Amino acid sequence: MAGPASPLTTHVLNIAMGVPGSNMAINLYRQDPSTNTWSLITTGTTNADGRCPGLITKETFTSGVYRLRFETAQYWESMGETCFYPYVEIAFTINDPGQKYHVPLLLSRFSYSTYRGS
Amino acid sequence: MAAAESSPLTTHVLNTGDGVPAARMALSLHRLDSQLMIWNMLSVGTTNKDGRCAGLVSGGALSPGMYKLRFETGSYWESLGQTSFYPYVEVVFTISAQEQSFHLPLLMTRFSYSTYRGS
Repeated sequence: MAGPASPLTTHVLNIAMGVPGSNMAINLYRQDPSTNTWSLITTGTTNADGRCPGLITKETFTSGVYRLRFETAQYWESMGETCFYPYVEIAFTINDPGQKYHVPLLLSRFSYSTYRGS
Repeated sequence: MAAAESSPLTTHVLNTGDGVPAARMALSLHRLDSQLMIWNMLSVGTTNKDGRCAGLVSGGALSPGMYKLRFETGSYWESLGQTSFYPYVEVVFTISAQEQSFHLPLLMTRFSYSTYRGS
């Protein structure tokens, strides 16, 4: 039943524990260029593999500035731990919506990194 | 000359794509007003040629709360005649104990970045 894959994907990895970051709430927003306000596009939760399929469809994936918000403190709290970062937001610019974009988050309680992947 | 090194919050921005400090990058520190749920800007600065920005916090310790360090990375890459995947980078963090000092570096390329809580 799976439709075409989302052109935008993410992958959360808990690099402190060497496991996928599963059951983490994430939100995707897009910025309206004329008003500079943000609209919520998708709400999701990462699966057991730390992924969140279906973030956006090809049809609605337009050029613009997007923001992925990861509820990192909530994630660590669910495991009885604190996190230096209450949440992580990654803002990125999509110039060519015909391409695929992979925006992963590698996370520990006191560090994180991201990169443009494929 | 102010003892800028005693700021409880320091940063260091490194352009790891080119292997140089990220000089002349604008950045700003904000604190969340948890009653009004709005961000208040505490200070603005520009990194020096070593990628550091002295005096981000004046007047003693940072009180507990939620803070945001915003780096104008998009403008930085533009000033080098390049594009970047990220228009800016914002690192939001929680301070819970009054007496600590924090080092929040940013290591970045045009298509990646990382940060950690250092000392």
